[in-house]
Amino acid sequence: MNLNKCRLSLFLSLIACLHVIGQENSPSQKDSILTENLDEVVVTATRTIRQLSSLPLPVTLIAKKQLQQTGFTRLNEILNEQTGIIMTPDATIGGGEGVQIQGIASDYVLVLIDGVPVVGRSSGNLDLSRFAIGSIKQVEVVKGPASSLFGSEALGGVINIITEKPSSEKISGQVSHRMASFNNQNTNLTINQKGKKLGYSLFADRLSTDGYDLAPTQEGQTINPFYNYTLNGRLYVDASQKWDVFASGRYFYQEFDVAPSTSEEQDLNLHLKVNHKPSIKSQLHYELYYTNYITDEKSIDPIDNELLVANDFDQRLFRPEIRFNHTFSTQNILTIGAGYNFEHLERSLFAGDVTFESQYLYSQFDFKPLDDLNIIVGARFDNHSEYHSQLSPKISGRYDLSPNFAIKGSVGSGFKSPDFRQLYLDFTNAAGGGYSVFGKEVEQAGIERLQENDEIATLQVDPSELGDPLDAESSIGYNLGFVIKKGKLSTELNFFRNDFKNLIDTRILASKTNGQNVFGYINRDRGYTQGLEMDVQYKPWKNLNLSAGYQLLYAYDKDKREAVKNGEVFARDPETLQTVRLSTSDYFGLENRSRHTLNAKIFYEIPEWDANANIRVTYRSQFGLTDQNGNDLLDVYDGTFSKGYALVNLTFGKTFFKHYQLQLGANNLLDFKGNNPLATQDNEVLLNPGIQLFTKINIQF
Amino acid sequence: MIKKTANFFTYLFIFTAFVACSDDDDNGPDPIAVESSTATNIPAPQTGGQGEPVGGPFTKFSFATGAVTTSETDWDIAFRGTSIAVNGGAVTGTDDEPERNGDAGVSIESGTFADITTVEGLTFAQDADGAFAIASGSDNGWYNYNPATFTITPIPGKILVFRTHDGKYAKVEILSYYKDAPAEIDAMSDEARYYTFNYVYNPNEGETSLTIN
Repeated sequence: MNLNKCRLSLFLSLIACLHVIGQENSPSQKDSILTENLDEVVVTATRTIRQLSSLPLPVTLIAKKQLQQTGFTRLNEILNEQTGIIMTPDATIGGGEGVQIQGIASDYVLVLIDGVPVVGRSSGNLDLSRFAIGSIKQVEVVKGPASSLFGSEALGGVINIITEKPSSEKISGQVSHRMASFNNQNTNLTINQKGKKLGYSLFADRLSTDGYDLAPTQEGQTINPFYNYTLNGRLYVDASQKWDVFASGRYFYQEFDVAPSTSEEQDLNLHLKVNHKPSIKSQLHYELYYTNYITDEKSIDPIDNELLVANDFDQRLFRPEIRFNHTFSTQNILTIGAGYNFEHLERSLFAGDVTFESQYLYSQFDFKPLDDLNIIVGARFDNHSEYHSQLSPKISGRYDLSPNFAIKGSVGSGFKSPDFRQLYLDFTNAAGGGYSVFGKEVEQAGIERLQENDEIATLQVDPSELGDPLDAESSIGYNLGFVIKKGKLSTELNFFRNDFKNLIDTRILASKTNGQNVFGYINRDRGYTQGLEMDVQYKPWKNLNLSAGYQLLYAYDKDKREAVKNGEVFARDPETLQTVRLSTSDYFGLENRSRHTLNAKIFYEIPEWDANANIRVTYRSQFGLTDQNGNDLLDVYDGTFSKGYALVNLTFGKTFFKHYQLQLGANNLLDFKGNNPLATQDNEVLLNPGIQLFTKINIQF
Repeated sequence: MIKKTANFFTYLFIFTAFVACSDDDDNGPDPIAVESSTATNIPAPQTGGQGEPVGGPFTKFSFATGAVTTSETDWDIAFRGTSIAVNGGAVTGTDDEPERNGDAGVSIESGTFADITTVEGLTFAQDADGAFAIASGSDNGWYNYNPATFTITPIPGKILVFRTHDGKYAKVEILSYYKDAPAEIDAMSDEARYYTFNYVYNPNEGETSLTIN
């Protein structure tokens, strides 16, 4: 630990020295944050181009420069350094990692590439390490519900990856290779060109690694060796002043080395957008989108080569959409859109193929009733073949009290339609002792089938309840924010509250004669997350950028909180093993939530040397992984809490001969490993594989 | 609501106990004291499981003697694996079950052990064809199975109130399913199918109180 502290202070003093040297060489320059910020525009908040600094909603923008200077290569890595965005480990050892925004889990966060959604979730969780962050302009994150524009899944927020348009008439591009710990090898190539009418961009990326192990005492590896390829080609056609076309194809392939078993993953996205400007004030966008996500897993017994489990997953989405914008005057814009979703899923654990259809219509009016007041009202209607239709309204406003001070607020609704699993799963776990899980649409038939086979001991629910349709999970989100800009200092403060209802939970439908249970799904839980986000940016000199962020979070299940309040929830004293009654302060709240998360970043550039350096620190306070003592909530008697920890990442970069960049860095510099509280006695399980060193060479042409 | 009911019953009990005591002082034998006891490491072996039919004899327990018994009739509850049988009702239909020849029954209550002071107002369920009165399965009856740690632990706040085979009453709080009731269970090394439980048995015929005196 002392050594780590030394390393950190060494680095900080190094930065300080560099700064002193840098200062000597450069005469002090005047600069204005405001002019720089004018370039920052986002499209996710309103589906129109809007200046970031004028928006009434909480939006995080991760610019290309930050992506490059950190040396990160995958979306999950860069997101984890943003205020109020945390990558959380799955509670199960070796499980995936999910993004959490405003305390809202990954299942309720929509991920887009150039405005169209990616599919392919495993137990609700979308693996963000699938997305290479080369050839992209920026990542936009809108916090809080945005179903009024994007429909299902946009409760906690929307993450939109914006690809980069070519800008140079010459063929330009870059090729780079990055080597890191665990034999992590990442090569990528980007080529761009923009002609008078035609532009294109090509991106190819290959990543391979030996993986790592968080549980050294156990057989096997936590992350098995794998390799993956990402290919992306984009075409831009400016046919005339009134017509332009964008076409993009992306393909991702990943294979894990788990011989003799196999595990493959494929992700295809095809996106075509035609923009038509019938007049200066009007725009029409015609969009076609197709995506297909496939996983193919075969578990094979290494001794007799027998197939143990085959798990195949094939999800497709096809979506035509039309969008119309009309600008009445400079700041009054009407947006109307309509679309049709065709969804299809084949999965080994399902009774059969499943098809969904849904139609939607949305509208938004973005206007300025007063010079200093901006209001956006919008609503979306989703009609679905399998569950009740949804109306999602949203209103947001911003009032600029002075050039230095603004208030912004929004109220909006979000929903998430029941997923395929919650509707159609038909699964009996033979290896796990023989429990069964049925989706809502197949539970009645499933129970009847088990009854005929005499496998049901007792039915725990009224048979007439079986098969009642599930409702969409829904939320209302409130955000109230303040923006203060004073010279070199800018501060944003945002209070948030998200109220959830109809959250889908599992329940026991019946107990089986083998002593196991039959599980089904039900709309039951109500919950909330609330807290405060704060971002401070300070730019004392042109080349030095300091920023810090903090999130305070309270996240609870409402019904469980009520039950605790009423004295109906019990735990067991770990010493005497006797039952004790929980008090309100004993209930810790939802799993995997930290009350405090912090980040601090220093980005420093030395133009004279064509060099830059940065250090980023993230901290999350104590969190609990799962209930352990059988009362179905996380309380102070559970032994599943992980202590708070900090990760320190640093990167140095230098450009040689204008076109050659060298980067050196360390992620998790302090070599934090942690202890997974779920590990059994005498077995050590780590939370993090420890320090990862990397170096990257980039050649621009 | 539960708390209020409990309080009401506490007062009711104190009142009736007071009245009863004053009666007993004059005539009739002294009542036997109600005591709190702990049964440790009651073995509950079983055969089969994991998809195979469950079998093997139950370990029978008598509250009156506070010990395991081999008697075919003078037992109140019996253990095999996670299954708990009561000596009342009918056999559920699994292999090697003891015959139910008493009038035992069970009522599963929520609260701390001390909260349960009387059986007044409780309904007692008995074993029946196809189902134990204490439902089998995780989160259904008395225990919770944690698939991450492979451990079985009693659900906190579940107090089992029994009517014995001969119509007396007892309350039970199961503390552990593992030998020597370890505070932290290691499913790999700790031996399962050993019950340790606290119980309060009222040996007095016709008395419904379950507080110790």
